[in-house]
Amino acid sequence: MIELRELTKRYGGRAAVDRLSVRIRPGAVTGFLGPNGSGKSTTMRMILGLDAPDHGEALIGGVRYPDLTWPLRTVGALLDTGAFHPGRSARAHLSALAASNDIPGSRVERVLRVVGLSDAATRRAGTYSLGMRQRLGVAVALLGDPAVLLLDEPVNGLDPEGIRWIRDLLRRLAAEGRTVFVSSHLIAETAQTADRLVVIGQGRLLAETTVAELAAGGDNLEDAFFRLTSQATDYRGTDVS
Amino acid sequence: MSGYGFRQAARMERIKLGSVRSTWWLAIATVASMAAAGVGVGFGYRSHTPVATAAQILNNSLSGSILAQLLLGALGVLMVTGEYGTGQIRSTFAAVPRRRTVLAAKAAVCGGTALTVGLLASLAGYLGGQLAIRGTAIPAASLADPPILRAVLLTGGYLAATALIGVGVGTVVRHSGAAIGTLFALMFVPTIAVGLFGESGIAVGRFVPLLMLLNSVAVTTPTPGLFAGWISVLLMCGYAAAAILCGGVLLRRRDA
Repeated sequence: MIELRELTKRYGGRAAVDRLSVRIRPGAVTGFLGPNGSGKSTTMRMILGLDAPDHGEALIGGVRYPDLTWPLRTVGALLDTGAFHPGRSARAHLSALAASNDIPGSRVERVLRVVGLSDAATRRAGTYSLGMRQRLGVAVALLGDPAVLLLDEPVNGLDPEGIRWIRDLLRRLAAEGRTVFVSSHLIAETAQTADRLVVIGQGRLLAETTVAELAAGGDNLEDAFFRLTSQATDYRGTDVS
Repeated sequence: MSGYGFRQAARMERIKLGSVRSTWWLAIATVASMAAAGVGVGFGYRSHTPVATAAQILNNSLSGSILAQLLLGALGVLMVTGEYGTGQIRSTFAAVPRRRTVLAAKAAVCGGTALTVGLLASLAGYLGGQLAIRGTAIPAASLADPPILRAVLLTGGYLAATALIGVGVGTVVRHSGAAIGTLFALMFVPTIAVGLFGESGIAVGRFVPLLMLLNSVAVTTPTPGLFAGWISVLLMCGYAAAAILCGGVLLRRRDA
């Protein structure tokens, strides 16, 4: 269970995340939706203790992330692609993180197999394609066999097969009773994976709903999403002519 | 089951340090540069008149440490800035959210590694010089001679302290290029500035890293007015502690 209480982050005078309060339940995939710049990644970073909130707090099972006994065994996170040193092999990267939380080495080999990187494990991660980097990120998230998973835009850069693989993986993890929180700016993709939806715009909570509820509005999901976020989009283009 | 701590963080840092090529290149370059300087000095003195003294050979064959301190300093810097530059730092802090535990682990692993490499390099400089003067009338300097052994060991210690200053500077500055530039400036600019003090220069100069290295640490007998070698090395460790403490304070406040 993840609980955000009035979570707020300001950059300069502008609130990137604005009194965001929401609970993300175990046993379901919760999609975290919002336009570009709506505060999804900032929220994720605050949950992980990487950015300090200006107000409010983020709790995981009632505990702030920095106070967790074994962070990687409690929460697995896929951060922005490239949260690794490009000169280090996938195996060394995973081994170092495993050592920090007393996770056995056998677990490193296990997650390499799960994400399909066993054969490329000795290669420097900088030589990986975008899809392979995402797979390495997923391996890091799964490393500690955590009950809570946070994934920031996991399908970015994945081919259709990779997208399906992620989708099945997330659903399976949720079915095992884990809390799965996945950010995306793609409603159509999220709708195929998530049960529940948290929609934000300009850092504020716009809706806490389910895919079924959103679809019941009569129009298609994309229109429903645009209707929700129409007042809360920062960057919008206009017609060329 | 009290959770992660320094021991786990140190194991992580050890694996990370050993698994990037830059570490190995910098370590090899450090030892090679001191060995080369030692050999060069030895050959240079072979036909020198009057015949060089053991102290002269030793002092000069350790002069490769001028370059070695920059290489090991860069090693320390890169342990931190290499993570900020690549995004690795977010993985590291997600694994070990108590950031000062990470910094302490980095300092310990860097200090241990740099001391090992520094001592090897210092020994390589000494041996290079001694091998190059074999067969000449120049007296050999023996490691059994306390002032000789002291200079070799203290040079290794000085080099390790430089790497730790690098860790501190890297934590404060976070950008590789800027941090290495800052470190080089800290090593060389004060040396130039001391010249402005004229007569009283030595009173200031004894606190300046490069001058300490060349006149107090890597020599058999310190220049009068300078601190004893071991005090100079302690002073360097003090600078390193100050730099790392500054980094620790900023680390708490800043977002990763």
